[in-house]
Amino acid sequence: MTTTIEYFSVMLPQIILLLFALVCPALDLWLKMRRGIAYWAMIGLGIVGILETLALVPETRGLVTFLFWASPPATQVFEIGAFSELFTIVFVFVGGLVAYASPPYIKDEKHHGEYYALLLIAVTGMSFVATAADLIVIFVGLEIAGISSYALTGFQKTVKRSTEAAMKYFIVGGFSSAITLFAFSMIYGAGGSTNLRQLGSSIIAGGPFDPIVLLGIALVIVGLGFKIAAVPFHMWAPDVYEGAPTTISALLAAGSKKMGVAALFKLFLVALIAVKVEWDVAIGIIAILTMTVGNVIALQQTSVKRMLAYSSIAQAGYILIAIPVAAVPGIADYAVAGGILHVITHAAMKSGAFLVLVALAVVGLGEDLRDFNGLSKRSPVLAFAMAIFVLSLAGIPPLAGFYSKFVLFSAAVFGAAGEYSWLIWLAVAGILNSALSLFYYAKIIKYMYVNPAEQPGKLKIPASVMLVVLIAMIATILIGVYPEPFLEAALGAAGALLGG
Amino acid sequence: MFEDLLQGMPVLTLMILFPLIGAILVFTVGRSMTVIRWLSLIFSGIPIILSILVLLAFQWGEALPAGENFADPQFYESYQWIPSLGVSYTVGIDGISLPLLLITPLLTFLSILFSWDVTTRPREYFGLMLIMQVGITGVFVLLDYFVFYIFWEIVLIPMYFLIGIWGGPNKDYAAIKFFIYTHVASLVMLLAIMAIYFQAGANTFSMIELGHIAPGFATTFQIIAFGAFLFGFGVKMPMVPFHTWLPDAHVEAPTAGSVLLAGLLLKMGGYGLIRVAIPTLPEGASAFSPLMAVIGIVSILYAAIVCLAQRDLKKMVAYSSVSHMGFVMVGFATLGPVGMIAGVFQMFAHGLVTAVLFMSCGVVQHHCGTRIIQSLGGISQKMPKLATLMTAGFLASLGLPGLVSFPAEFMIFYSIFQSWGLWILVPIASVAITAGYYLWALQRSMFGPLTTRIDTTEIHDANWYEAVPMAILVALISLFGIFPSIMMSRIGDAVSIILSGLGVG
Repeated sequence: MTTTIEYFSVMLPQIILLLFALVCPALDLWLKMRRGIAYWAMIGLGIVGILETLALVPETRGLVTFLFWASPPATQVFEIGAFSELFTIVFVFVGGLVAYASPPYIKDEKHHGEYYALLLIAVTGMSFVATAADLIVIFVGLEIAGISSYALTGFQKTVKRSTEAAMKYFIVGGFSSAITLFAFSMIYGAGGSTNLRQLGSSIIAGGPFDPIVLLGIALVIVGLGFKIAAVPFHMWAPDVYEGAPTTISALLAAGSKKMGVAALFKLFLVALIAVKVEWDVAIGIIAILTMTVGNVIALQQTSVKRMLAYSSIAQAGYILIAIPVAAVPGIADYAVAGGILHVITHAAMKSGAFLVLVALAVVGLGEDLRDFNGLSKRSPVLAFAMAIFVLSLAGIPPLAGFYSKFVLFSAAVFGAAGEYSWLIWLAVAGILNSALSLFYYAKIIKYMYVNPAEQPGKLKIPASVMLVVLIAMIATILIGVYPEPFLEAALGAAGALLGG
Repeated sequence: MFEDLLQGMPVLTLMILFPLIGAILVFTVGRSMTVIRWLSLIFSGIPIILSILVLLAFQWGEALPAGENFADPQFYESYQWIPSLGVSYTVGIDGISLPLLLITPLLTFLSILFSWDVTTRPREYFGLMLIMQVGITGVFVLLDYFVFYIFWEIVLIPMYFLIGIWGGPNKDYAAIKFFIYTHVASLVMLLAIMAIYFQAGANTFSMIELGHIAPGFATTFQIIAFGAFLFGFGVKMPMVPFHTWLPDAHVEAPTAGSVLLAGLLLKMGGYGLIRVAIPTLPEGASAFSPLMAVIGIVSILYAAIVCLAQRDLKKMVAYSSVSHMGFVMVGFATLGPVGMIAGVFQMFAHGLVTAVLFMSCGVVQHHCGTRIIQSLGGISQKMPKLATLMTAGFLASLGLPGLVSFPAEFMIFYSIFQSWGLWILVPIASVAITAGYYLWALQRSMFGPLTTRIDTTEIHDANWYEAVPMAILVALISLFGIFPSIMMSRIGDAVSIILSGLGVG
């Protein structure tokens, strides 16, 4: 029997985040020091980040166990391990970057306390999904993160498009949550349990509940497809990413979307793995559609923020490659590791790219391609960082994005044999799309480095925003130059997810 | 006598590192033009000294002590990098890499010297040239597919910027076209690399180890993978019908960019074919050999005919590159010792010759303000030095005996005759066409009465920093034209190893 205390100790990271979140509004009321709230939020995120990192690294794992619980308790609803730890680190990392970049960006707004509280709660929800071993927990996590993101999207109440985006996000999000819940009820009905691992052994092909399972699978694809903005469920994403405060766009693209990916991994590769013939081709097709549509529409964008939104859609398509490939026996670990690695690298490069937009917004520039004119002259560091992010997104070696794409595509090549030979088309589509995407990424570089500046003078970027951009840039380069530990961690997380 | 010269010295790594350090220094402390110029000149120049030492210390032929194997790459270094994927940083050279390794620092150095008067954004310009040198050197020495691919891609970015920032009026279009074409080609090559990696299942990206395993793969697999390689390298070389990016890129690129593009970047494609594709996938190579020959011959003839019709001197030279790289492809397609040695030597020769040609075009553009052949005429009266060097370059390029292209092209024709008999009559027509377009262009632009279509009063002869690089190259062109065996004998060893793997030699 698991005692109450042990239950709490399992949820320790989430509890820490929640406690820090609850204090934020009070700080706003009493301290009158806005930057202080950001620091407070970052302390909370930092503690969780350190805790999870210590738990992830084998050499220090014992320390955490010793400090917080005598033996890692086994529960029905949570599954602590490399997978949950790695994803939580990603969420906390993105949350930290966003929190630190926020004060200059939202300085004209009210309700700073609520902003950081919602931010922390959103991260809490995401980490719940990463930790979940149960359908209900996944759903609760999705909702915690979702509802706080709706509010954050509409944070700039005086800006029309922010409110519009929040409304759109809320309606689509609520709708997709309902579908997801309906799907979960089907799966529960067919499998007789809400625990993912038990479902994995109880849902088998050819059973009497096959039609229900099939309906459940279809609805999961639709519901979570909305969450990760997979084509054809992506319509909301560009509007929301464009309308939301740019800091929140970073959180949505690098955080919320990855939560959806974690949920998809858990559902398909743990709970529904036995009926893979029912879904692998469908997800493969969605993956190809998602990356192609995202890239093709991104080509025509003149707003960089919207371009990045479409690029996020395309990147989700690359991650989706991992799921059908993981259905092939023998390379599941490698394929899922590719997906997880792409989650990590995408978190660094995409949040970095959005934070460059934050930096421009802080000094009064817009988010149009024209605003990047001559950026290399006006702020060489910012332009260089942006160049690194977009080149990494395009998958140019030796930057972070190259490795995750390499592992993903090569897994598809590897898996393509016998009855799975169609998987090669996933790699081909991914590679053609990488080439296609280079066109619009190079456009950004051209505006920054080739075009002359429209206005003279250096930009005075606040140090805090510059710092987070630099951190994201260093992460992007570091993963590129020394990918071994990240690849190891991703392989470990994949093993934890699949092996259980 | 020089065998022990570089004992224990990581000379190939140093050749990669020096330009890298130079680039970092130029970017960080390059405050004045003088500092930038000299820094980049020194740091691109040190590898020339190293490359000459490598040439001296390189072991070949009978000089090799007993018990050592020519199949082993020389100046070998290997360090683990990403063990879980089996990636390691491995460098080493053989006779195929050696000639290309020699011209890489040389051409970069001379291009930097040639760009002495570039004053727009000099830090970026010279820094990017050095980074390009890093990438190209890496491609020619690396023996690990994964790292090879990284350096392969690194080369693209500086070239994109060189065309995009310092290029001509239509630079945006040309830069992005170059980037997309070559990037797609690299990605297809990457697919083939992945396929070989997994098919071998040895958790290694080492070219040497995979080179031992891959020839045993099923024929179908070899054909598919070789097709992917052929596409990847063929676009880069470039071969008709995927050559259209090259004229655009050349016309818009600054002169130094063109020199590196034609002199070195195109060689990456040819090098990839003979280093990677042919020895690793011998059955695929023999299946594709007829197609390669056809592509090569079509490229030779088609590009030569297109050259005749050009009005722009530089565009003509660009198309002539397509034609001359076609010889490389045909030489490799014979899969015989003569053709392959000549193919590698042709890459070396074309690297030297085409640099002179593009520098000539650069000087003409710079001093006369136009490169349109019809607008020029009689320029030799104003620019005797340029006219001399340019004529030497043109003659070398059309294959005048005694200059470097002659032995290469002669041997390729010989190998075509050996392999396909009288089919030689088709490509040999190009000899006449090539001589035709070069001499005709020379006559119309350089000689005859002085043109009245442009203002010629201000035109003066080539500056020292333009004439010296061309003179050095012309000297080398004559040297290797008279003594081609300096290179050929060293290339020969490596080629015979490849051929023994193919079951031919």
